[in-house]
Amino acid sequence: MTRQFEVTQRDGAARLGRLRWTDHELSTPCVLETKDQLELLEEMTESNTDLDVEVIKDSEDVHGTNINADIIILAGALRFEDDPRGLSRALIDIKESTNPDAALYAPTLATPQNISMLIYAGIDIVDSVLSDVKAREGYLLYTDGEERFDEIPHPLCLCDVCRNINFGDGSFERKVAITSEHNRGALLAELHRVRARVKKGALRELVEARCRTTPTLTAFLRLLDEEYNYFERRSPIVRTATLLACSQESLDRVEIRRFNERIIERLHKREGILLLLPCSARKPYSRSRSHRIILARLYKLRPFLNEAIITSPIGVVPRSLEVMYPACNYDIPVTGKWTRDERERAIEQLARYIEANAFDSIVAYVEGPYKAICDDVAVKLGVDMIHPGDSENILSSHSLQRLEEIVRDLIEKHSPVRRDLRFDYLRDLADYQFDNGASAAFFSRAPKIRGVFPRYYASDRGRRIATLVDRYGTLALTIEGAKRYIDGHIGHYCVWIDDFEPKGTIFAVGVLRADPIIRPFDEVIVLNDNTIAVGRALMSGWEMEASNRGAAVAVRHVEAR
Amino acid sequence: MKKEGVHAESGLLRADRNAHIRKGAPNIRPRAWTGLDLLNGRVVPSLTIVLGTKGCYWARREGCTMCGYINDADLNATGPLVYEEFLGALSRYGKKFKIIKVFTSGSFLDKDELPTDVRDAILYDLKDVPKTIIESRPEFVTFETCEEIARINRSIEIAIGLETSNDYIRKNSINKGFTFRDFVNASEAARSSSFSIKAYLLLKPPFLTEAEALRDAVQSVRDAAEYASIISLNLCNVQKGTLVEALWKKRLYRPPWLWTAVEVLKQAADSATIICDPLAGGTRRGPHNCGTCDRTVVEEIRRFSFSQDVASFEVTCADKVLWDFVLEFEEFTYGVPLVQ
Repeated sequence: MTRQFEVTQRDGAARLGRLRWTDHELSTPCVLETKDQLELLEEMTESNTDLDVEVIKDSEDVHGTNINADIIILAGALRFEDDPRGLSRALIDIKESTNPDAALYAPTLATPQNISMLIYAGIDIVDSVLSDVKAREGYLLYTDGEERFDEIPHPLCLCDVCRNINFGDGSFERKVAITSEHNRGALLAELHRVRARVKKGALRELVEARCRTTPTLTAFLRLLDEEYNYFERRSPIVRTATLLACSQESLDRVEIRRFNERIIERLHKREGILLLLPCSARKPYSRSRSHRIILARLYKLRPFLNEAIITSPIGVVPRSLEVMYPACNYDIPVTGKWTRDERERAIEQLARYIEANAFDSIVAYVEGPYKAICDDVAVKLGVDMIHPGDSENILSSHSLQRLEEIVRDLIEKHSPVRRDLRFDYLRDLADYQFDNGASAAFFSRAPKIRGVFPRYYASDRGRRIATLVDRYGTLALTIEGAKRYIDGHIGHYCVWIDDFEPKGTIFAVGVLRADPIIRPFDEVIVLNDNTIAVGRALMSGWEMEASNRGAAVAVRHVEAR
Repeated sequence: MKKEGVHAESGLLRADRNAHIRKGAPNIRPRAWTGLDLLNGRVVPSLTIVLGTKGCYWARREGCTMCGYINDADLNATGPLVYEEFLGALSRYGKKFKIIKVFTSGSFLDKDELPTDVRDAILYDLKDVPKTIIESRPEFVTFETCEEIARINRSIEIAIGLETSNDYIRKNSINKGFTFRDFVNASEAARSSSFSIKAYLLLKPPFLTEAEALRDAVQSVRDAAEYASIISLNLCNVQKGTLVEALWKKRLYRPPWLWTAVEVLKQAADSATIICDPLAGGTRRGPHNCGTCDRTVVEEIRRFSFSQDVASFEVTCADKVLWDFVLEFEEFTYGVPLVQ
């Protein structure tokens, strides 16, 4: 039973926490700075104290075991300074075999350059020892690398220490002392930056930037990205921070792969006519100028169409999911040219999307590089795609008119079913979020939908079922919605709690069982013998079960059962 | 020191070693060289002869973590061949040395390794040399054996690889297979035949921090001084096919700093005669500092071995700041060298 460490906030594997430390409290992630702190921790590994500290020498020894502690020490972490593969393997072995509410300490490894990456990977505690070593080796450390202090004519930062640097005179010892102080300052400043990023849910963008400065860190990030399950199990289903896809590694983000997989695996099969459109800078896409022009022209025909948007780095976004993260909130450098990687991912995902559904006809109303992608997919799948647009300007009145004519002809030819587009959003979001054909459970018959795009809400027989929360693009359930879902899906997205009345926040200690598929920010149904409640998950389902501390669910509605 | 030992790694140790033995050792014979050594406080010319016996029995059975001398062994060695080799070296260099060292990369007194007739013939040939130095593990330095060879040659010095006076470290970090008590017994046996004892001490066995290694060596000099007339401080270097090499490759071992050797000599100089030859000094596999000061410090250590005067140590270097820090903070890495 751990009592001394509590995670308060998460951003993927990174987290903010509180560590009760003898008579005081440390906020993690933290940098141990004094010899006293280092000694205190070392003593606790050997004696029985109120902190349970476990030293793991060889991560292979713990692989597949189950260790419970307050603090885990990755002994000899420094041996991985230039061995990103060894580090990622050791780290993930340890994280996967210890309780989630244990703080992980990687001794003598942190520098201003790598600390963001260490915390991103799931380390909670580091120290300033290596920065001190580097000072004694003559190196000033920065977030983008190191410089020998006798080789720079002007200070490269203007912290209190560097502002007064005058290396021209003074002994080596004095230079070391100044450098040491700067290095610690740089380390702490970066720590504070990381904390702020975790709070915003934007640490990934920082590590993508930091890793650029050295092949070792870039390799480390790429190796971590191969550990999809490790990060997926810890990643929220939505973020408020904008996903900035500025690097090659952005394409491998958990959020993108998860979105792509859910679109193929969770959504119900579509039939009829598919209309492919290019993406837009403005999100959701239907608010953009280009989409408004096209959609206005197709106004009366849209209920007979399936629309999907081609985009980098996501690939394909069905219209109904344009409000869901990350489709609703990402940004990429737009130059009109796609990188080979972006192209290939888009081709692959568009092909998967087309194969997973059963369209009769595909209309590709795109231009430039989008058209090239569609051509490649058409060849790859051996399907026909109709290109009504001018390859140079799809917004020309000539193009728009041809689009309208072609779509009209296709509708006459296939006579597809007319749908309520607002219902499309709610139904697909329900399936995307809750899986298992959830939409059929929520909406056994077409609900009454009210609200202004995208804040739709659905009711049936006067009872509210679900609301689309536009901030996240998720569905928030009412108790009525929850009841409809659990009738056919007992267990899925459910959290069973001890015999108490849930209100406000439910803590992990009160959770008996939780669906392991639950992710932070998921909408969950809370149950015990007497009550049913709905709320938002604050940690993953498996983590609720394995933790003894920390907030698990923020409850919204409660009702007697 | 941390509770670690060779047990976890012993499989690796043996496998590695066997791989090296099978390759067979390059034997360029005779392996002999001349040098300078200390005799009764004076610097004198010496001759060293290394004989290709079948090697140390312990190395074949268990092996010490840092020792790669088994690589010099010759599994096909016979008594006559070994003696021939010895005579070859003598005829090349002559006997006009104050000190002649005859080493076998094992135990000179192990009858199984070196037949007694060859042993006796060699010692007989050297009976007029002022000092003959041989090496042996302590279990072969018995009263009986000492009496046997004392009848042939009375000016023998027996060098024993004690490595450390700390039984825990000798067992867990070195896997030496004997205790301090065994060394003391051997020393008494040797002295009963008026032989002198040289104790080899190992600076920085694996699994020790720099500071622990420093303390261990200083303490060992003090403990061994009573049972040895001279102490040879051996600075651990990374030899092929050893556990130390495997650890070193995994960044789990760094040879000692030359500053640490200097510090041991400074602190322990008053308790014994200590000699030190920093083999491979200044290389990555050998004891080293930052690279700038290594050659000078190696030179100073050699000079000290002859003068026994701590005033030999004059040079200082910017990296001493780093070495000081390593002494103080290396324990907080939890098992790896803080600086390569």
